Amino acid sequence: MDLAIQTQQLKKRFAQRVKGRVKWVEAVAGVDMAVQSGEIYGFLGPNGAGKTTTLRMLTTLLPMDSGEAVVAGFDLRSQAHMVRRHIGYVSQLGGADLNATGWENLILAGQLYGMTSTQVRNRAKELVEVFDLGQIVQRGARTYSGGQRRRLEVALGIIHRPEVLFLDEPTTGLDPQNRHNLWQQIRQLQSTGTTVFLTTHYLEEADALADRLAIMDSGRIISEGAPDQLKQQVAGDVIVIEDSFNPNQLSWMARLLEKEAFVRRIHTEEGKLLLYVADAAANMQEVFKILHHHSLRPQRVSLSQASLDDVFLKATGRSLRDVGQEGEGQ
Amino acid sequence: MTLVRDVRLLFWRKMRETLRQPVWIVSGLSTPLLYLALFDPLLKGLHSPLFGGVHGNSVMNVFVPGILALMAFGSGMGAGWTVIWELQSGVIERFRVTPTRRFSLLMGPVLRDTVMFVIPAALVLFVAHFFGFDLHWLGLIILFILYCMLTAVVSAISGSLGLVLQDIGSLAAAVTGLQLPLTLLAGVLLPLSIGPNWLKVIAHFNPMYYVVNASRVLAAGSIQNAQVWQAFLVMFPLLVVVLWWATRVYGKVVA
Repeated sequence: MDLAIQTQQLKKRFAQRVKGRVKWVEAVAGVDMAVQSGEIYGFLGPNGAGKTTTLRMLTTLLPMDSGEAVVAGFDLRSQAHMVRRHIGYVSQLGGADLNATGWENLILAGQLYGMTSTQVRNRAKELVEVFDLGQIVQRGARTYSGGQRRRLEVALGIIHRPEVLFLDEPTTGLDPQNRHNLWQQIRQLQSTGTTVFLTTHYLEEADALADRLAIMDSGRIISEGAPDQLKQQVAGDVIVIEDSFNPNQLSWMARLLEKEAFVRRIHTEEGKLLLYVADAAANMQEVFKILHHHSLRPQRVSLSQASLDDVFLKATGRSLRDVGQEGEGQ
Repeated sequence: MTLVRDVRLLFWRKMRETLRQPVWIVSGLSTPLLYLALFDPLLKGLHSPLFGGVHGNSVMNVFVPGILALMAFGSGMGAGWTVIWELQSGVIERFRVTPTRRFSLLMGPVLRDTVMFVIPAALVLFVAHFFGFDLHWLGLIILFILYCMLTAVVSAISGSLGLVLQDIGSLAAAVTGLQLPLTLLAGVLLPLSIGPNWLKVIAHFNPMYYVVNASRVLAAGSIQNAQVWQAFLVMFPLLVVVLWWATRVYGKVVA
């Protein structure tokens, strides 16, 4: 099996009632992708981009409207039962049974995949070790901290050694330390041959974890490739000019620099001006010259590599950080 | 048989949950016992031939089957609430990704509710016996089978409503909105035979009416009775249809 997941024109739309009228919203508008066996594949995009809907279809939870999909070698439509045997899924909600102990959760999860009691007990012990649950596994899951619960939930998702593991926003709500630990464990899983498909709206996460990623917006994949490759597609370098500028000053500066031939694109953020240029080191002098000419002496001028946010920005005209915050406020 | 195994596993999951919260067991028992202690004395003040004459001497023989009906209904009613919690915490979604059949997901809580009807109900019968309730064993066993079917139907409907509505407020409105007319129109507290004709006509559209009628006959020890097979004739197809529908709901729901 070369491909762990393959989709063609995957589509899903939902009826939404707006002021009494039924409006159809295309949550997933024709997704094509091919995930190699053994890779970590990331879905990056703002909330509402259709990441979770895609993932729900791929995990058999939601019927697709149209399109084709093969997961772990089985047809999603006609062999859903076989797909379920070969995948693991950790939802955004988590899914630990809070009224049971961690141990009971693990045992039941394994048994539902048809493991014998000996098999499941050995495997559960192994996972308790890997996810460092020894201290708490006999306690009710309700008493767990956020990080502990996440670890249990990931353990529940892989107890049957799935070929393909789906993780929906796995580190949302975790502190940096727990987040890095989980990244470590996800990489560990990959080294044992598991294909990992994860969604995230954290740029750092996609950058740090994914071998390849698809950037999603409004139900479509707008860009796909290895993180470095994607970043190179955007102008290589960024000059960041920072000071306590007010928005008027910023837009004035933007208009000023826009005219220069070496500036490919300009983006302004709070107190910040980002210039996308072909060769930052060479263009830096020019920028200084222009600024000095207008008696501007910004506090900080720095160089940075294009980030995944810049990739998103180029494709959609919006910054993922801004969109992400909007989404979370909803 | 993976199906039987999965049902057993999921049943015990719910059972452990119940046993961890003894509050529910106590509160489940207190209602019927309070009825016996505080309502029964009122009944004794009434002229028993008015509603008890047909079935025997003791008012209890008419009253206790009605209380059991309330317990059977009440035991299944709460299923929807836990379903909503489990939907919100993602437990149901997690189980739905496993190869487990949707039918076993449904049957775990349904069987738990049934067991949680039988145990306190048996205790109530034991107490009622001291208040003058006659124990007719064979009749009582058939009565319990009938009431277990009722609990299963109510539990499956409540659970499915929870999955469909996904909101505690709407569920509470729907379930309690059904409970009062259904139990009153079944003649739970007083037999409908003493009521006017129009009431009896409406009651015939209520499946629970047949169950409660049959239970009074069964409690009196009469087994070969038209009311008994009528009740089974209503409840069995109803149970099959409800379980089929609820299984489909479990297969489709998305949080």
